[in-house]
Amino acid sequence: MNARKLKYLVGVAADSLWSHRGRNIFSATIICLSFLIVGVFLSLANNLQHVARQVSADTVVTFFLDKNVPAADLGALERRVRTSPLVAEVRVVAPGEALERFRRSFPELRDILDNLKANPFPTSLEARLKDNTRDSGKIAGFVREVRAVRGVADAQYNRDWVDRMQSLSRLARAVGFFLGGILVLASFFIVSNVIKLNVIARKNEIEILRLVGATNLFIRVPFLLEGMALGILGSLISLALLFVAVRLFPVYVGSLGALQQVLNFRFLTPSQALGLVAAGAAIGLLGSASSVSRFLKI
Amino acid sequence: MIELFHVSKQYQPPQWALSDISLQVRSGDFHFITGPSGSGKSTLLKIIFREILPTEGQIVIDGVNVLKMPNHRIHELRRTMGIVFQDFRLLFHRTVFDNVAVPLQVLGQPRKEIRRRVFNTLRQVNLHNRMGDLPSRLSYGEQQRVAIARAIVNKPKIILADEPTGNLDPELAFEIISLFKEINAQGTTVIIGSHDRELIRHFGDRILFLQKGKLIRKDGS
Repeated sequence: MNARKLKYLVGVAADSLWSHRGRNIFSATIICLSFLIVGVFLSLANNLQHVARQVSADTVVTFFLDKNVPAADLGALERRVRTSPLVAEVRVVAPGEALERFRRSFPELRDILDNLKANPFPTSLEARLKDNTRDSGKIAGFVREVRAVRGVADAQYNRDWVDRMQSLSRLARAVGFFLGGILVLASFFIVSNVIKLNVIARKNEIEILRLVGATNLFIRVPFLLEGMALGILGSLISLALLFVAVRLFPVYVGSLGALQQVLNFRFLTPSQALGLVAAGAAIGLLGSASSVSRFLKI
Repeated sequence: MIELFHVSKQYQPPQWALSDISLQVRSGDFHFITGPSGSGKSTLLKIIFREILPTEGQIVIDGVNVLKMPNHRIHELRRTMGIVFQDFRLLFHRTVFDNVAVPLQVLGQPRKEIRRRVFNTLRQVNLHNRMGDLPSRLSYGEQQRVAIARAIVNKPKIILADEPTGNLDPELAFEIISLFKEINAQGTTVIIGSHDRELIRHFGDRILFLQKGKLIRKDGS
């Protein structure tokens, strides 16, 4: 097929899209809504992933020690933690410093602290993990190992929260794909039916094309182009709507405090956006191809 | 040359739409196929342009057995033919120019060449001043001339016309057959299916008479 023929066929497809614009707009709208749902959940998942990444970049593991740990043991433990490939920095927090921090963080509890006869805070070791440490398994292994050392009473770190955030991100993505998948399937059938109507509407034209010696490909290509155009149009509009929603959402909800980070939608990455458009084109093309193969008997 | 060997067609048993037809149409001939309604004229034409397959027999066009041609190559056969119908089969949402240009667009001809050939063809059928009109604004006779222009724009070797004057009054019918005669004079083989005795008496030198699917007489062959 040469460029002239293709140009002509693109013109035929465009003409048909315009001639039957009512049902074509309906079809593109359904595709748009389907991809908008996928896009919203992908955007939410991106955001949760981003928050999880930010938190994990600042992961601190705190090891609380038993009371009266000998200085030699403390030094050995500090050396051991410092030499771990996961650790960027280690700091010993004396009981006095811990009490002072608590005082600063909870000034309303000052009276209770003043009445204490002894400092209840143990000595602790704060290990700040390296930024590129993302492997939860490795971190958990490291914590278990240090926790087993004599003199270490307990360990605390924010990894659980990161893991939960990542799970939530995966969940959001899965829900998006599930709901979107159902709607995308519906889009497939709608495109297929719209193209079927277009085939029926152009029955005479198809008959004439056959009689003047058009190849099967020549007759089919405009329908496939129509389906693909509907898919691309629907997905592009969904991206535009998502972009507007991402911009307007913070304005609409106002300040959410701590939740702002979690619920603040983030637009799709370029590869995700491109993927959605490609998926739209594929759905349109497949819907159209299914209809053409069933209803366009040449 | 078009050759039919013992061609029969049965749509539904036990009746035969065509029965054991053998004939030869030489290149450049002008043939009428005539007979009463249901005699098999349209079936015979449809078999020649391979719209339908015969139940029995063989058809050879210019040395090629068209029944052995695979489906994906039928377009090659159709490009050597121009086909005209009683109901014109025009695209009513496209202009006269666009209707006539369709066969050339199918071939991927350059725009300039399409413009030149469509104009020349429309001049031949005397419709060059109606190029931009929609077919619905033309008379029946003019619409049929557009259909003929579409059939000849690609300079086919064969023209098949199934009752091309069926919707026209006698004066226009004569005009249309005269046009086919002119096309034939340029070397194109023309086969017209018609039951119009007046026309056939006036223009027919080679006539095939069909009755109940049988070729009962050949005049002038």
